[in-house]
Amino acid sequence: MSEHDESFADQNFDTIFRQVMQELGVSRMVEDYRIKADPDAPYFIISLRLGKARSSVKVSDMALIDQASGGSKITIIDENWAPALLTKLWQLYGRDAVEQLTRFELIVTGPGPEIISNLELDPGEELRTKVLDAVWRVFPEGFKVRYNLANDKAMTIIGTEHDMQEEWMKLAEELHKEMGAS
Amino acid sequence: MYEVLLYDGGVYKINELYELIEDVGGFVIQKTQVQVQITVTLAIPEEERPVIEEKSRELGGKLINVPLAGTEIAVVAPTLGRHHMPHPTCDIAEQLRRVGAITVVMGLARGKGRQTAQISADEKAVIEEYDAAVFVLGNFKDCILEHKVRLFEDIDIPVVAVCGPEIEELPSCEALVCGIGRKVERMRREEEIHKLDEVAQKVEEVIRSKRRELDEDPLFVHPAEIKDRVAELEAVQRSLRPAPIVLHLDGLRVKIPYEEWKDQIAAVEVYGRRLGDIASISDSRLGGSTLIRIKSRSEVESGQ
Repeated sequence: MSEHDESFADQNFDTIFRQVMQELGVSRMVEDYRIKADPDAPYFIISLRLGKARSSVKVSDMALIDQASGGSKITIIDENWAPALLTKLWQLYGRDAVEQLTRFELIVTGPGPEIISNLELDPGEELRTKVLDAVWRVFPEGFKVRYNLANDKAMTIIGTEHDMQEEWMKLAEELHKEMGAS
Repeated sequence: MYEVLLYDGGVYKINELYELIEDVGGFVIQKTQVQVQITVTLAIPEEERPVIEEKSRELGGKLINVPLAGTEIAVVAPTLGRHHMPHPTCDIAEQLRRVGAITVVMGLARGKGRQTAQISADEKAVIEEYDAAVFVLGNFKDCILEHKVRLFEDIDIPVVAVCGPEIEELPSCEALVCGIGRKVERMRREEEIHKLDEVAQKVEEVIRSKRRELDEDPLFVHPAEIKDRVAELEAVQRSLRPAPIVLHLDGLRVKIPYEEWKDQIAAVEVYGRRLGDIASISDSRLGGSTLIRIKSRSEVESGQ
């Protein structure tokens, strides 16, 4: 452990992580978190217990679907889901098949309205992306050597500057288990 | 010694103020007019302050102390990443501008990390063109004391270090302000504003002691005296940069290309002498600028 008193850093990281989560609107999605750092080693660990995301939604619940020549036309009603919808469509049919006419209107070449209506958008991925963004904003910039642990309940990231040591990884795994067992 | 002040008032009869400044042997450094309001940064011999104060009152304006006016200060962060920028680096720069300094904010190319943090010779040379530098460091005491301190150990200008944890003493810097760590929002709370004031105060102290050092062997002329003459150059008048001439404690930065204009700058006449004889003129590391460092009276008289 560092021979210096690092209480300021502990408190400051706690504050800035809270503020970043609030800014990104993910405070409610993270039930608990631990930040552990030893600048002398050096390593930095963030471990999070993830809360439940919004339940999944069908495309027909957030958009109007019509027949279009050679595919479907989608008119988005709830714009909050637009990024997730676009990502899903790109993954399934490729970027060339998805044409954005306006902010709310899309033409998808290929699948018919029925297929599009039954697609489900998974909010879990959106949650993970946002939570990860919060973690990267706080994580020390120079700690590029990283090791991640993730499951449905928890997410743990450890980073260091040079070589990752077994003992630090074990420490991260222990913390991960502790956060996952709620 | 010259004192730099800021006049804040209206344009009505402002010429009377300009004439008085000239009569007492002072200079106008900068004028900023917004409709009928005007702010004038002026340098006057300090014993003439009461006369200028009286005139300001007569014109209905205010005379404000700007202790850092006539200085250019670099605020340096380890990187330009969001981990170090824009808060609190920009807040500190803004605070220094409020007390009259011209500031630049810079991030190092490889300043991130702990053992891997480094500063290049080029970056050092750029920083040394300024009157003082403020280094904004982070949260970990271990990291600052063992590693980050190397970033400014060879820098020849005064350095004020700013960091989060309470540290009693830090080598290689003239002043230290603790209690400002990493931030993800503007420094708006009362205690944070006090911290910003503390940084400005430390920079003022550092600049004051540098001014005292310069006074031991005074400059041949005050930089403000040269400013007006250099401002007459065609390239300066054509320059669209917001402050084409910036005053330093011991010279000026003129934002016109060195190679193209060095001869004309050297030929400017100051009290019957060529500027080239009483100052060293060199290319700035920042492209398109020329640095003028005024020699001391003893250097000019001994013909060095």
